[in-house]
Amino acid sequence: MSFAPVLRAEWLKIRTLRSLCGALLAVFAATTAFSAIAGVSETSDPEFDPLFMALSGVAPGQIAAISFGAMAVSSELHGGGLRLTFAAVPQRGRWFAAKVTAIAVPALLVGLLTAFVALVVARAGLGEAASGLTVEEQLRGVVGGGTYLMLMALFAAGLAALLRSGVATLSLLIPFILVVSFVIGDAAGTVTDFLPDRAGQVVLHQTYDGTLGPWSGLAVTALWTAAALLAGAWSVRRRDA
Amino acid sequence: MTSIDVQDFTKEYGTRRAVDHLSFRVLPGRVTGFLGPNGAGKSTTMRLVLGLDRPTSGSATIGGRAYATLHEPLHQVGALLDAQAAHGSRTGRDHLRTLAAGNRIPDRRVDELLEETGLASVARRRVRTYSLGMRQRLGIAGALLGDPEVVMLDEPSNGLDPEGIIWIRELLRRLAAEGRTILVSSHLMNETASFADHLVVLGRGRLLADTPMREFIHARVRPRVRIRTSDPTALKAVLARHGHDAEQHEDGHWTVHHARVDDIGRLMSSAGVPVLELAAVEGTLEQAYLDLTASEAEFAAHPSATQPQEA
Repeated sequence: MSFAPVLRAEWLKIRTLRSLCGALLAVFAATTAFSAIAGVSETSDPEFDPLFMALSGVAPGQIAAISFGAMAVSSELHGGGLRLTFAAVPQRGRWFAAKVTAIAVPALLVGLLTAFVALVVARAGLGEAASGLTVEEQLRGVVGGGTYLMLMALFAAGLAALLRSGVATLSLLIPFILVVSFVIGDAAGTVTDFLPDRAGQVVLHQTYDGTLGPWSGLAVTALWTAAALLAGAWSVRRRDA
Repeated sequence: MTSIDVQDFTKEYGTRRAVDHLSFRVLPGRVTGFLGPNGAGKSTTMRLVLGLDRPTSGSATIGGRAYATLHEPLHQVGALLDAQAAHGSRTGRDHLRTLAAGNRIPDRRVDELLEETGLASVARRRVRTYSLGMRQRLGIAGALLGDPEVVMLDEPSNGLDPEGIIWIRELLRRLAAEGRTILVSSHLMNETASFADHLVVLGRGRLLADTPMREFIHARVRPRVRIRTSDPTALKAVLARHGHDAEQHEDGHWTVHHARVDDIGRLMSSAGVPVLELAAVEGTLEQAYLDLTASEAEFAAHPSATQPQEA
């Protein structure tokens, strides 16, 4: 059994569920909306970072990305759905790889488009305040932001496969991102810099002074994601369907 | 030849043994009824055959190969395990397309099956709006997508209306006549009797019987003769003289137990008893099954303990 038909099936599964298409739309809508609001906010703060301000919509947008990843996996799990899937594709590793690809590609494309539009919209609001941004920095912000959104979607997908539950994944990740990372994150210790969301968001800043740079930060998030996906793949292969 | 071979299967959930050293073969060209009370291990066995659950020990092959090694398995094996497995938010047609795509089955085949299972008119409605009977039909359509040699259906008549039950019966007969290997689990005896040629009966995870259905019934239910006469006194006397055990019913007919119609007919004729009606009473699968399960003491004590994996 080759990979392409399995991937096609997985992509079809995502396309044919309105909730998943809705989650992708929400990534775009939430990110651009919050970036637009940030664009017209106060810019006199000395810590003001125009790139992060313009891409601040990524923080709420990642909730939608996480939901997309978790739901794309959990839509397989209810009422014996996974049995149906494995009866059609018994090579579970191949199936999971196809699932991950079918999540990653649309998440990345939507993420890149979202980050680009968010930046454009926010810059329209920020005007002069964002004039110090170089093309290189903006490109890094857009590519990094899109990649970050994809990594968070995959992180959630891996956890959902491991926990065999979309609800458990969301109730773990969303409070973590909203509360733990937000609250203790500002107490900026070196450990919190390595949390999956904190590390990956360095790429959204014009200036950074922590342990991690933009790309090394994204790499740390990618490691978290890889770990979650490996754990998910292990669970998918080992456990009874 | 594509048969299903189950060899010394055992599956334990914690300390509970759901399937216990089970071995049997399902041969092509006939419908094999898979019987047993709830929790006997029928669904577990089907999942093990499909490689969905790992056996504690033992193995199963289809046409000599383990399911997990099959290339695009829907072309060889079709299964309906649970009609509720389809995602409620997809349309029936999209549900089948997602299954078909991974096995390179064209959408044309999907539409063909929607037509064949009588779902064409609701194909573009969401599965959550389907009745149980419609979901069963969708599940059966999914099992037949790849035109497989082996078909396994778990309780396919569940929720079907009378037309649906006749339809599935004829479908199973036709598939078997085409030389396919058909395994159908059920706990409805009369229903199973209407389509099965062969029986595999489980109880508490163990094999209780693996025989042709006719033999199963004949071995367990003694033949009886139904007789009606205008001279009950003479009838009673003749039967008593020959040591037959007869029972009179309210509407006036008699049942002669443990007797063959040929013998009773000859007897009545030679004794000159006027006979209004004389017929052999065939044993039913239900009687035979109850006889078997009654002899299994364990069963009688726990008629149908609820088993989560049977849900």
